[in-house]
Amino acid sequence: MSTLLNISQLSWQVPNKAILHNINFNVRKGEVIGIIGPNGAGKTSLLRCITNQNNILASANVTGSVKLKNRAITRYSTKEIAQHFALVMQKNDSIFALSVQDVMKMGLLPHKTLFSLDSDHDKAQINLALKKVGLEQALHTNFNQLSGGEQQRVLIARALVQASQILILDEPTTHLDVYYQHQVLQLVNKLNITVIMTVHDLNLASLYCQRLILLNQGQLICDGSPEEVLAPKQLSQVFGLPCQQSIDGMTGATQVSFYLPESHGQNSQFSESLDE
Amino acid sequence: MNKVTTTLWGLLVLVILSAMAAITFGPADIDSAELITCLVSNCQNPIANVIIWQIRIPRVLVALVAGMGLAIAGAILQNTTRNPLADPYLFGIVSGAGLGATIANITLADNLTIALPLAAFLGALFAVIIVVFIAKVLQRMEQLLLAGVAVSFMLASITQFILYFGEPFATNRVIFWLMGSLARVEMSNFYVIASVLIVAIVTVFALHRQIDALLLGDESAASLGVDVDKLRLLMLGICAALTATIVAYCGGIGFVGLMIPHIVRQLVGVTTLKLIIGSALIGAIFLIWVDVIARSSLPHAEIPIGIITSALGSIFFLFIMYRSRAIN
Repeated sequence: MSTLLNISQLSWQVPNKAILHNINFNVRKGEVIGIIGPNGAGKTSLLRCITNQNNILASANVTGSVKLKNRAITRYSTKEIAQHFALVMQKNDSIFALSVQDVMKMGLLPHKTLFSLDSDHDKAQINLALKKVGLEQALHTNFNQLSGGEQQRVLIARALVQASQILILDEPTTHLDVYYQHQVLQLVNKLNITVIMTVHDLNLASLYCQRLILLNQGQLICDGSPEEVLAPKQLSQVFGLPCQQSIDGMTGATQVSFYLPESHGQNSQFSESLDE
Repeated sequence: MNKVTTTLWGLLVLVILSAMAAITFGPADIDSAELITCLVSNCQNPIANVIIWQIRIPRVLVALVAGMGLAIAGAILQNTTRNPLADPYLFGIVSGAGLGATIANITLADNLTIALPLAAFLGALFAVIIVVFIAKVLQRMEQLLLAGVAVSFMLASITQFILYFGEPFATNRVIFWLMGSLARVEMSNFYVIASVLIVAIVTVFALHRQIDALLLGDESAASLGVDVDKLRLLMLGICAALTATIVAYCGGIGFVGLMIPHIVRQLVGVTTLKLIIGSALIGAIFLIWVDVIARSSLPHAEIPIGIITSALGSIFFLFIMYRSRAIN
């Protein structure tokens, strides 16, 4: 598999704090990578640097390099970046009554010239992408009236129309019910494109990512398979809670459980509300 | 598309019919048969000829482009700021124009036909530049609207200060000018407004996908390759020029930019291309008929057009609030 992205010696320093410190890793074509870590670990900041949002890499606080196909990301135009990366964010409501079709058409933007109208080919592309996420019926539905999970799927379909090679998702499962969490991540996993996403839920990350990157206080702590990264000792240090690893009987995936020392023993099972 | 396209064609027909019908309204009786004769061949009645070609047609055409322009400016601002209550008047444009007009009235009373529109235009641009400058300094482009409201009050207070100490006749002129009127417009005004309007429409058509991308948030738009701040600034500049030109000739005509796009969204949709075309057409129909009311509802007198649009607009505003309360 060829290297698509190369992040080397990436640091982001603000007064009295390192948001990111000397991050190094490569992303190969087709990988599904989950970035995990506690709040404030630098997960979203890392995503912002990878896509050079607001030209952040040009800022004096940021050092190191991000290379896309062996060329510095700073040398790509914003349009070219949009042709390579598709972004799915956490919050996506609009004050206006956009239809699903309106949202999908936004994905065409990086490939369109000024004044252009939608062709029949574009409409076919949109329908195909919606079919892939199982929402072909929703074309004329009001986007705001969809459930959170459906909105995420529409945005993933928009990313498919955008035809970019790398899909970036920031906490795609936050605010979703368990059913939709699995549905969205399974979908992402089956798209056969390169995916980099931040995930809060370690067990979901383990289930749907081939590779995990653990960040803490701006540092890359571990980069590897879920089994390696979710090593109990390491997680205990990062999250500040005792932790236990197990193998899920159904899926064979590595799973972890946390517990507060006091509650352990009172409950033979681990405290449900404190699983992160 | 088909339903939307049909609606838009229907509206275009209505614009043409409205413009034709509006020409027949006014103090002098001109019926539609006479109008059609005058439009397609030679007028038998020379007085009717003068009234139609030199008074009524310029006035209806200015109402048409002014309505289009104000409605489009509102639509662009609302989509680029993602705020359904954005209106060119909230960006200090009219207060700026008012200040310009006041200064012109006090200092250049002899030469007002040229000086007044020019001073109003400069005042409006001045206001927008201050608003953008403040938003830039605060590094908060999303707070443009609040900056606009603040600047608007500031400029209005300067205007009132000058008027308070100014000569009563000049004060009267300014106050009447601020109420808005199409009574003194000429064909040349139509050409100027129409030119700015065409530039605005062409720019929006070119960038319609970029503007649409803003509808799901700045971050989403940036990820699609849009330079959000630059786009917003360009669009604000276009709206300012458009509104300033219209205000300079017609005075203060409020609420058109707020009301019309709101109706269009219900009728044809929220994305920029549909919204702009729909707003242009409904805006034109609206202002043509409001001007008919302005000039024909009182015997021997005109009601300033801005009074009618503001009255309708404020009721409409309350109606929107009531409806959104009902939905929530």
